[in-house]
Amino acid sequence: MILPEADELLTPAMAIDGFRLGCLVDASTGMILASLENSDALSPSTAAAGATDIVNVLTLLNGKLATGEILEDVMITFSDSFFMVRPVGRDPEPRILLLVVADRHRTNLAMAHRSLRDLCASFPS
Amino acid sequence: MSQVPRRTRVRQLAESVWPGRPVNGYANLIAARLRKLGDEASTGVLPVTGHGDGAIFFRGGQVVYAESGRTPLPVPGVTGLAALGLAGVAGSRADEQPGSPGQGSPAPSGHGGLVAARSVARLAETLAVTEAVIDAVTELLANDSRYAKFRHSDDLPPVPVRPIPVETLLAEVQRRHEILRQLAPLITPDTEVARQPSLDSPAVQVSQAQWALLVRAGRGSTPRGLAMHLGRSVFGTTIEIYRLIELGLLAVPGQPGGTDGAGGLGQQSGTSRHRGPGPAAGRRSGPAMSFIRALSGERASDG
Repeated sequence: MILPEADELLTPAMAIDGFRLGCLVDASTGMILASLENSDALSPSTAAAGATDIVNVLTLLNGKLATGEILEDVMITFSDSFFMVRPVGRDPEPRILLLVVADRHRTNLAMAHRSLRDLCASFPS
Repeated sequence: MSQVPRRTRVRQLAESVWPGRPVNGYANLIAARLRKLGDEASTGVLPVTGHGDGAIFFRGGQVVYAESGRTPLPVPGVTGLAALGLAGVAGSRADEQPGSPGQGSPAPSGHGGLVAARSVARLAETLAVTEAVIDAVTELLANDSRYAKFRHSDDLPPVPVRPIPVETLLAEVQRRHEILRQLAPLITPDTEVARQPSLDSPAVQVSQAQWALLVRAGRGSTPRGLAMHLGRSVFGTTIEIYRLIELGLLAVPGQPGGTDGAGGLGQQSGTSRHRGPGPAAGRRSGPAMSFIRALSGERASDG
């Protein structure tokens, strides 16, 4: 983690029911800027790297489709957890990513989705 | 006098620093030196010569600054969290105003509350410099670099870098080296790239940052040269160039699907999305970059 003081940006994400891990990641370099976790079972660096790879692929897909759309978020469902990735800020370029991993059995996906959207929108632009 | 050849001793020492990792010559010795300076809570300067001349500055055993002659100097306000659209960077990006990077206006407050705005603006400034510092250390820890005598000194550069623990820094640098190794078969920071001359369809969509690179990529352009010109991270620029190659907009002359000459894209102003000409018919077959594989030290060619 390069900037621990960025944790305060992640703190609201901990209010999501079932929150397990949150990371801010530089989408360009894959570097973790800050992370918070409720569980030692997850490696922030692995989760962040995987999320960045996924966004890279989706950005490449979007680039080749050239529909003029922008990536809003990525929701991945595993048997026990949700992986949620969302570009932060209003910049159409997904350069900073917010990754949140939550316990599937304790999380209302719709509410979590809404919380992440509101959180990202709350960053000043 | 020891009968062990110098190269063998270097390898043995390096193995003791990063067991199981590919031996990286003198770079691992520098890593060991950094660890020692960290353990000793040193304050001062470690000059580094060789592949990229520069220096690493310590305060209380943590790295507070670094620069290399082969990476842009730290300039607050152009990278990293600045991309959040905070700290007034949106109107001062290097890709929009070449030649005047980092002259951001004060952070606007507004949508998220004053406390948060101040906090993020401060972070944006910090990360902009931090990215440049990590970029410099990534270069300094390359092969063939050597450190000189550590100079104890309290006279450190007045740059607002958050102190970085040595272990955190080395882990990030090693991760970047792994990614650069993945890309090496296709592109390095010093590989010349050129725009694809073909202007046929289909259209593609690129980001603002990529567009800034695309319109500046001419004959003899390298990721490092473009990064220096734009005041951006060499590592980040190399990755963006790779992505443009993946999109078929840039090519490495001489590679499959490469081009022998510069393309014909004109410089255009624009928004963050640009619909430019599509890739040429021929495509190269290069490595796939993967951040997650870089964590385990895998190279694309291994899988």
